[in-house]
Amino acid sequence: MPSNEWLTITVGAILVNNIVLSRILGICPFLGVSKKIKTALGMGGAVIFVMGIASLTTACLYRWLLSVKLDFRIGSFAVQNLDMGFTRILVFIVVIAALVQIVEILLQKFSPALYGALGIYLPLITTNCAVLGAAQLNAESGRGILQSTVYGICSGMGFALALILFASLRERLELSRIPKAFQGTSIALITAGILALAFMGFSGLVK
Amino acid sequence: MNSHHLPAAPHHFAGGIHPADGKAMSASGTIRIPPLLDKYFLVIQQNIGIPPKLLVKKGDPVKKGQLIAEAGGPISVPLHAPTSGTVGDTLDIPGANGAPVPAVEIISDGKDEWCEPMEPYADWRNVSRERLLARVKDAGIVGMGGAAFPTHAKLSPPPERAIDTLVINGAECEPYLTADDHLMREAAQAVITGAGICAKILRISHVLIGVEENKPEAITALRAAAKGIRDLSVVPLHVRYPQGGEKQLIYALTGRKVMAGGLPMDVGCVVQNVGTLAAIADAVINGRPLIERVVTVTGSPVAEPGNFRFRLGTPVRKALEFAGGIRKEVRKLILGGPMMGFAQSSLDVTVSKNTSGILLLAADEVRQFEAGPCLSCGRCVEACPMRLLVSTLSKVCENERYDLADENYVMNCLECGICTYVCPAGRPNVQHFRRAKAELRTMKRKN
Amino acid sequence: MTNVILAALALAILGLVLGMLIGYTAKRFAVQTDPRIEAITELLPGANCGGCGYAGCADYARAMVEDGVSPAGCAVVSEENFQKISQALGQDSGKRERKVAVVYCSGDNGHARRVALYNGLNDCRAAAVLSGGGKGCRFGCIGLGSCARSCQFGAIELRNGLAVVHPEICKGCGKCTEVCPRKLIRLVSAETKAHVYCNSLDKGPAKRKNCTAGCLACRKCVKAAPDIFNAQGFLVRAREGAEISDELIASINCPTGALQSVADHLRSGKGKEGAA
Repeated sequence: MPSNEWLTITVGAILVNNIVLSRILGICPFLGVSKKIKTALGMGGAVIFVMGIASLTTACLYRWLLSVKLDFRIGSFAVQNLDMGFTRILVFIVVIAALVQIVEILLQKFSPALYGALGIYLPLITTNCAVLGAAQLNAESGRGILQSTVYGICSGMGFALALILFASLRERLELSRIPKAFQGTSIALITAGILALAFMGFSGLVK
Repeated sequence: MNSHHLPAAPHHFAGGIHPADGKAMSASGTIRIPPLLDKYFLVIQQNIGIPPKLLVKKGDPVKKGQLIAEAGGPISVPLHAPTSGTVGDTLDIPGANGAPVPAVEIISDGKDEWCEPMEPYADWRNVSRERLLARVKDAGIVGMGGAAFPTHAKLSPPPERAIDTLVINGAECEPYLTADDHLMREAAQAVITGAGICAKILRISHVLIGVEENKPEAITALRAAAKGIRDLSVVPLHVRYPQGGEKQLIYALTGRKVMAGGLPMDVGCVVQNVGTLAAIADAVINGRPLIERVVTVTGSPVAEPGNFRFRLGTPVRKALEFAGGIRKEVRKLILGGPMMGFAQSSLDVTVSKNTSGILLLAADEVRQFEAGPCLSCGRCVEACPMRLLVSTLSKVCENERYDLADENYVMNCLECGICTYVCPAGRPNVQHFRRAKAELRTMKRKN
Repeated sequence: MTNVILAALALAILGLVLGMLIGYTAKRFAVQTDPRIEAITELLPGANCGGCGYAGCADYARAMVEDGVSPAGCAVVSEENFQKISQALGQDSGKRERKVAVVYCSGDNGHARRVALYNGLNDCRAAAVLSGGGKGCRFGCIGLGSCARSCQFGAIELRNGLAVVHPEICKGCGKCTEVCPRKLIRLVSAETKAHVYCNSLDKGPAKRKNCTAGCLACRKCVKAAPDIFNAQGFLVRAREGAEISDELIASINCPTGALQSVADHLRSGKGKEGAA
């Protein structure tokens, strides 16, 4: 595997095509959980975790189940050349949701400490479009399973990076005197936009 | 000439500002001695630590310099009568910090008779250091640069702390004040003698006297008085506020840094003010206790600004009369200098051991401000001599986030006033930090 | 068409399988939490004022169930819900006394003497570190409103430089008593009908110089009703919860107006002479 492909996947996912700031996915938790750096860290960790597992699962699912052309017959009922690829979004959603639920239950049982740190965020990311988006991008790009998983984890890291940066900005904003018209979500959105502008500077870093 | 040729303080401390001097109006002339007053109101606690215990009651006769309150503990010093006469009431008078403080009235009999002096040690070099130290305490001497910390305690660092340098503060960096300047010019010998006595008590020989360059006569006078003394140098300092801050002074003279939360003795230094030294010399050589000090009365509303040798307990009201009275409307009356002094609301405050100046400011010299939001311009950060992130601190204190203030080292703030002085948004930073410190102390006490 | 039906069927089967999997996992690996915590959180007022000393109502509910803390710490919850919470915890509740905060000062700008112009932070605690706000009396209300800002229920009004608590809004959570740097706000029984609105321990003449509405301790009230009024040095205090009728107040005719009924104290500022 030529090395710059890995660079494209990793650096591309974290910086150049940052899933929040470039692809504008996952804005809901981005705005919701970024008031404090501590919660941002927890959420970032949870997202990396979920996106890694979800990318792995969906990549496997797509490669082995959905892209395979099915040919079978049950009695007189024959199926030829059935390509279930078009159902991938629905399948992905259902599988990711179920997966995250199960992981949350297991986490609460077997690692209460980790659950305390990340557990409350897991329901938030269950049907987060960032997770689904990464899975979809993997399917579209035709990457192998390993690359897809790495891409998922790096996307999660990009999300975490953007979230922590944003949380730091918001903590400082909280201490400043904001004009009445801009208080609350509006100044947050403006700041997010400026942060996205800043990340555009990374374009061209990797091809 | 001294054997150590030191260049003008080679070390430039970080930050600091150079405000307009204001010293010209009280720089000339000599120290004036005011006439005797009918009554003096001596504040009982004139030192940091435990207040002294009053020994006299109403009606008792007293002589000048007589012991009227004994030290209340190890971190305490005695108090002496400023003149002869009778003891009056014990009452509350306005204190320098705004709250009323207990004081004792001394009614003068006009004779101004000294009591028996303590044993004069003209040949102090042959007196044991324990006796010298005891004399410093018995004379009621405290740090006269403003801190009012009992000097005998400062001169007794714990034995684990090795001291090698005595640093003398003749900087007088506060604008408007010239009391130390005049003292050094007129009583240079007393200052040098006091330095020698302190050096003997500390069992060291290396003495550095720092004087700002804008006091050339004082430097000349001190050098003349120090002729022939080994290992004592008078070092001219860059003129920069707060050059007289002890951490800044130590760094400028020795290059040693006192760490955050630390004390000068951590780097082997003891710092004393020139006024304190002159008082020590008088106490040791003449056996006289501390009953008066040099105070600058200045400001454009003052008719005849200058320096006066006021007795402790002189009301400010009278002090202003001695300075020729007020000739235009006063907006602010400050005890101390304009940067670190305290604005007063009553003319009945009296001179204490650490009162260095009485400053009057007219209406056109005082600005009423309305605090704006922090611009993040960074002037305060640039100027802070303790290298604090003042803009961040100001914002967190405004939002009452004292936990964040503690993380940003607000407890190391000197309260020197530079950040408030330079802020273009008119933010009362020192007030924020004072409050933050008070809140943090309360929180720490609760836990 | 068959593709669509097949796809739909496949997804339905997938959903069913996953659903069963989740259900099984949830049952098999369930973690027990006490249902009472949520029930009690519902009963609490949900204001998250922190008056109980815990980080919000949910935290207090948890403390009640897990650490056995008494529900009496919440001053805001309604009597009815208080009984229900006690029942849920299996405790005997008893009757709670309603308390309100009172600012023991009458020194508004019309009565208190100002000795200095204060130009600094608009906060009482900040003014207190700088010799206090500009009014002469060092025991009195600084009047910059730290208490009013700390009250989540909006019960404190800043009236002409004096803080006044509206007892009908006050929930007795006690936040203001901690904030006041002069400690002149106290929590008293809501039944108390009148107070001596003064906190100064200064002697009579000095007090009079600083404020025309201060209690001079002339003891007129003490003589009229010694079981209600108690003189401590230069300040008189009324016994908490005592029955003080308007007639009694009128017959005493307090010379400075420091003694006032709660109703009068709230009403004044509308052209009444005497204390604020």
